[in-house]
Amino acid sequence: MLLTKIFSRHKPKPQTGKRSDKKAPLPASAMGTDEFVPAPREALDADPLRRLYQQGRFNVILNDEALWRSHPGGAAILQEVKKELEQRMALVPAGTVGLPQTLSGQPGGPEKEVEVAPFLLCCHPVTNARYQRFVDAGGYDDLDCWPEEIWPHLIELKDLTGHPGPRFWRNGRHDARMADHPVVGVSWYEAQAYGIWIGQRLPTEAEWQMAASWHIKSSADLMRRFPWGDSLDITRCNIWSSRLGTTAPVTAYAKGSAPNHVTQLVGNVWEWADDEFGVTDDAGRAIVGEVAMHVVRGGAFDTYFETQATSFFRTGQLALARPLNTGFRCAMDLGDAPWITGG
Amino acid sequence: MTTATEPMRPMTSMPCLICETQNPAESLVCTNCFAPMALIQEAVAQDRDPCIVTVIGDSNVGKTVYLGMLLDMLSKRADDFDALPKGAYSVNLQHNVISHLSARQFPPKTAMEVDQWLWAYYQVARRKRGARIYDLVMPDMAGEAIAAEVATPRTFAVIRSLMEKSAGAILLVDGALAAAGSPQPDFFALKLISYMDGVLALKHGEKLDTPVAVVLSKADHCPDCFENPRLFAQTNLNRLWNICETRFRHYEFFAASVVGSLGYGTDEYNNVIPYPLHVAPRGIMEPFEWVLSKL
Repeated sequence: MLLTKIFSRHKPKPQTGKRSDKKAPLPASAMGTDEFVPAPREALDADPLRRLYQQGRFNVILNDEALWRSHPGGAAILQEVKKELEQRMALVPAGTVGLPQTLSGQPGGPEKEVEVAPFLLCCHPVTNARYQRFVDAGGYDDLDCWPEEIWPHLIELKDLTGHPGPRFWRNGRHDARMADHPVVGVSWYEAQAYGIWIGQRLPTEAEWQMAASWHIKSSADLMRRFPWGDSLDITRCNIWSSRLGTTAPVTAYAKGSAPNHVTQLVGNVWEWADDEFGVTDDAGRAIVGEVAMHVVRGGAFDTYFETQATSFFRTGQLALARPLNTGFRCAMDLGDAPWITGG
Repeated sequence: MTTATEPMRPMTSMPCLICETQNPAESLVCTNCFAPMALIQEAVAQDRDPCIVTVIGDSNVGKTVYLGMLLDMLSKRADDFDALPKGAYSVNLQHNVISHLSARQFPPKTAMEVDQWLWAYYQVARRKRGARIYDLVMPDMAGEAIAAEVATPRTFAVIRSLMEKSAGAILLVDGALAAAGSPQPDFFALKLISYMDGVLALKHGEKLDTPVAVVLSKADHCPDCFENPRLFAQTNLNRLWNICETRFRHYEFFAASVVGSLGYGTDEYNNVIPYPLHVAPRGIMEPFEWVLSKL
């Protein structure tokens, strides 16, 4: 009953970025042109609660729910915050996932079984527009959002013009035409910092795989190769064979959603997961990166092999890498949303 | 009717497309340069002259992976190309590269022995009415063999023949190594171009007409390569930049990468083995399209 209620909330919007849609522009740098339309700066409300709401920091508001309840207009905003979270997040039920432990990832090879508790996952990856609020709020200078080991490197996390922000932005602004595209050119640390700033977190690798493979606890022991089923369908995701050649808006490819309407788990952009990446060759020898790697999952618009854009495929990226094809989405514990569980 | 006393008819022979050696028609490979005779027979059967496009560069720069990936992308109609392999042997190179990359391994190094090289003969055209059809011959040459021929000309006669007949060249330079400050890519490219100068007997001040696409390979390691390949080359490969300017009429700089993320393991002898964790080709088609536009 609860599941039906929650899943039915997330009726996807009409698909706007289908395969036949007009090609979205690549970031100006990737095109080798100077064409760039800077996104306008958003005016922020002077009222602290409204400002937090405007910035999309819903979990930060809810962390101090008791405090804000007595704030002028607080009750109404709190209600709106919960409604927004219900709209933006989807419940992923409990289940078990098997994480392949070898590079070949062959079926029947060694796997690590992980139990996943139910949790809430953002229906869409974080967009440029949403990430802009973090940049505008001085998120890159807010040391509370960053682990101490990264502080010396914060100065390197610049855009093309030397301003703090994702690698392909300019003057701290995203390209206005890409506002609803997933933010890319962010390292694992930037993804994590954004999660902390809005009061959420990155999903673990097991959670991500649970959401994509939908291996829920039920009498039917089903595991999906893709969020929509077991067969690849390039009209349902944005990978190399889909021929878009760049990112699509986060609302595109709604037909490729998981049963709970979480979109684009496969394709469009690789998504950072919380875990460090570890894998071995078939002889059990560790395979490592030049420096620490974190897990990325799901494949991207430029993923060439269909086998590398599935619910199961595990790979990693250097934690400080800021590739053109990697973004993220956030998650939260179900326990942090008691109004959803009726608690 | 023939009788036992009549002399046998002389065996028909065929000149090799690459080195012009006369070969018996039934030969499988050229007796001199080891180019597949099937390639020569196919070329003879066409009305058009085949174009040789060479992919050249130092050892370990990624020539095999680049070429295999390019051929596979062409087969998948990337950028609206139609590509038809002329003979099963032409598919072996891309098959080898794609099988390894999809299994998250790099293909083995190309053997130095010429008879082990893989050759591709593809008919390539844009998928539009009236588009020009190109018959492209592209061998996968071993970097060590190129280096040996450059160091001691005529060690590998086939390389010299290929250079002489090449309608266009894609010169791969290790962008990652250059970005790390190594002078090796710059010096090797300098040697290679000076060798080409010698092969084509250019006089001082005379520029080479063959279009040359200089591709900064492994550019995933140095994102600056993608942002402005020309500027990157001018800054990090200045010797190469200068000689290109002096010796080539048509040249352009590009950046390319095949691997989206790289991991490292070891083998049983503790040698470091790189693994392509996932594949995300970038900048593969552009140099090829540019060379084609100049043919």
